[in-house]
Amino acid sequence: MNKTHKILAVASAIAFATGLSSQAHADVGVADIVGDQATTQDIVSYGLGPRGQRYSPLSIINKDNIKNLFPVWSFSFGGEKQRGQESQPLIKDGVMYVTGSYSRMWAIDIASGEELWQYDARLPEGILPCCDVVNRGAAILGDKVFFGTLDAKIVALDKDTGKVVWRKTIADFEAGYSYTAAPLIVPTDAHGPLILTGNSGGEFGVVGEVQARNPETGDLVWTRPVIEGHMGTLNGEETTMTGETNESWPGDMWKNGGGAPWLGGTYDPESKLAYFGTGNPAPWNSYLRPGDNKWTSSRVAINPENGEIEWGFQTTPHDGWDYDGVNEFVTFDMEKDGKTIQAGATADRNGFFYILDRNNGDFISATPFVKNITWAKGIDENGRPIWDPENRPGDPAESADGKKGKSIFAVPSFLGGKNWMPMAYSQDSKLFYIPSNEWGMDIWNEPVTYKKGAAYLGAGFTIKPIFDDYIGSLKAVDPTSGEIKWEYKNKAPLWGGVLTTGGGLVFTGTPEGFLKAFDEETGEELWKFQTGTGIVSSPITWEQDGEQYITIVTGWGGAVPLWGGEVAKFVSYLNQGGSVWTFKIPEQLASK
Amino acid sequence: MLKTIQQVIGLGICSAIYLGLAVDAYALDAELPEDPLNSVMWENMASRFFPGEVVIDQRVIVQGPLDAENQMQVPITVDATQLDDVKQIVAVADLNPIPHILTLHPTRAQAFIGFRVKLEQATPIRVGVQTGDGVWHVNGVTVNAAGGGCTAPALAHGLNDWYKTLGQARAITRRESEELARLSVRLQHPMDTGLAPGIPVFYMNQIEVKSPAGDVLANIEMFEPISENPTLTLKPLVSDNVDELLVYARDTEANEFNYSLPVPAITDN
Repeated sequence: MNKTHKILAVASAIAFATGLSSQAHADVGVADIVGDQATTQDIVSYGLGPRGQRYSPLSIINKDNIKNLFPVWSFSFGGEKQRGQESQPLIKDGVMYVTGSYSRMWAIDIASGEELWQYDARLPEGILPCCDVVNRGAAILGDKVFFGTLDAKIVALDKDTGKVVWRKTIADFEAGYSYTAAPLIVPTDAHGPLILTGNSGGEFGVVGEVQARNPETGDLVWTRPVIEGHMGTLNGEETTMTGETNESWPGDMWKNGGGAPWLGGTYDPESKLAYFGTGNPAPWNSYLRPGDNKWTSSRVAINPENGEIEWGFQTTPHDGWDYDGVNEFVTFDMEKDGKTIQAGATADRNGFFYILDRNNGDFISATPFVKNITWAKGIDENGRPIWDPENRPGDPAESADGKKGKSIFAVPSFLGGKNWMPMAYSQDSKLFYIPSNEWGMDIWNEPVTYKKGAAYLGAGFTIKPIFDDYIGSLKAVDPTSGEIKWEYKNKAPLWGGVLTTGGGLVFTGTPEGFLKAFDEETGEELWKFQTGTGIVSSPITWEQDGEQYITIVTGWGGAVPLWGGEVAKFVSYLNQGGSVWTFKIPEQLASK
Repeated sequence: MLKTIQQVIGLGICSAIYLGLAVDAYALDAELPEDPLNSVMWENMASRFFPGEVVIDQRVIVQGPLDAENQMQVPITVDATQLDDVKQIVAVADLNPIPHILTLHPTRAQAFIGFRVKLEQATPIRVGVQTGDGVWHVNGVTVNAAGGGCTAPALAHGLNDWYKTLGQARAITRRESEELARLSVRLQHPMDTGLAPGIPVFYMNQIEVKSPAGDVLANIEMFEPISENPTLTLKPLVSDNVDELLVYARDTEANEFNYSLPVPAITDN
């Protein structure tokens, strides 16, 4: 009797151990990434699902109990390397993978908040990031985690040890290229899973390009430059030219045409397309490049099977205000007039909120989401801006000495009605929650010529607030009408992403250091917590052992303090940091 | 039926664990010989790096300076060629913040290695040579050194373009006999320990020497204490028709380097 008991105990112990180990060593498959939104126990993609909706169905934390949300632990990135922390962590099997400034990455045990490993990229001197030394997050597949570094490389690390498995060069950092976005992993029939990256460097006359690699080896599978005239490749062979040479560019200007897809991309499992936004044309001085300058300031839909551009939509043709078109294209199903439209939405730097058909890029609607837009009088029925000629900075060639064109005041500022910080879409409220800013700029043009590794702008500028008491504005927007349902005003410019949940909550962080939760229907502020430094990152939520967790990375920085102009008075007192804060409702309060 | 299988597996696993425990217990019980270098770290070093039976063996010849002129580049030579059936050679510096210097697997090479090491302070340099029977033959020298070898930035960082010469090599090969080559190689690398302020860890961690046919002759795992621009001497076994050695190196950032080094015929000098 006693003996039987003992053997049973051994058997169950083994079963338990096996269960644990299979969970601890479960590798992430590409199907897990595609279906990430529905599996609330992990976060294995940037955007809580490749569509980038940043919506979690979890409702354990909700409007009624959010008041009981408290921190579980805080983790310091340490060292002297602080600056902006724009990272969205990933979660897998009780481990958090989070990136930080200066191309660093950590694995943290969620149960204890203790570090499992740290990786610091050995960056060369002379890296040229335009807008702070940020990183926005990692990708995960199989037994590896991946992230890009400021010297324009992509690194694959063993997810259990943090050791480098492979490291590949995306582009030449000495020419001004860098990399800050989270890589995107997509399924393909032809090549298996691919890891997709863009590049940064639009201020240095680089050429924007999307690259696809084999995640096992890091080997290139295809490349797709987004500027007309450049050739793409597939399996090492040249394939097709993007557009036609000089179709919308004069002379040789396309050769350093910019268009950096620096914010990465999203992927829609139904259309099977990868959507990348492209940056500003180079140089900023638009008189040097008459034409639409495709595909700068655009969204391009790329077929991951072969790297071909299926369609492009240019939000700001012939940009003259640095209105990058990089902002995330979030796909969703829109119910309108009794029909379901396979749509995608994007809130552009230029201040307009666009709805497109995600399958073919057809224009559906565009509505302003910030106030007092001046650069355009509106968007016509084809989706093209109705420019206001008075509000394009003047041609320096027409000035008396040829050195400085007429200065104009444009709204939004070059930092955009919305910048990199990702919006969220609630499948419950059917609203988009857009982190936006109300500001304008004085901008003027100057002559400029291209020089490798040097800033290639041909413009001067200074940012100005529009209102005395606030710049930041979180807005709930109805995609069917463009109507703004509610607005939360914040003194400092908002620079962090948004999360929405099945609990009816909208989360975002502020430069003043608060992580805040709002009622998704009314915008009422229900909860806040002071993290001790500014927040410019994207919150996440997941479930572990029956409890719902919220995490935010903190650390003030990003482009605002570097380019802020008159905005400085709103932000100059803010202090740097570098931490991860993780919250849950304590057990003793969970039922209250 | 299912239960029966589970039981069998369960017992199998348990007995494996018991075996493991038994070996460990034996190792702990085994008497550790007295340390000829009289180091406070001896027991710790032995249990970390030489687990199992340890003997002090004068046939392991470790040569180094009594006083290091340059604590960033302390030359050490290990000659264990009097021992047969050497499986691995492990070199450690007791009082370095990171003690493990290197591990050599001389698959088809003599049990011999020369290298340079950074020292943080005066310390024993200890070498364990494990033979096929599992026994560790240990010997060492004490090197007196000024402080700071591991926590100062590499000299490379006085230059802004140090990364452009990463992995560049200088090497000398010669044939000591019909069967034996001698290879000295210096590889450009800052070998950052991660202990200098603001400089992340970054070092060459693997070197492999192969014959042209692809046979591994020697494999070295290197660690942070190896000096900037690693300088190594090895004695690979080569048959007389081998006139080339292939060297592969990799660092912690997955930079990979490949070199081909000719092995000349025997000359009179």
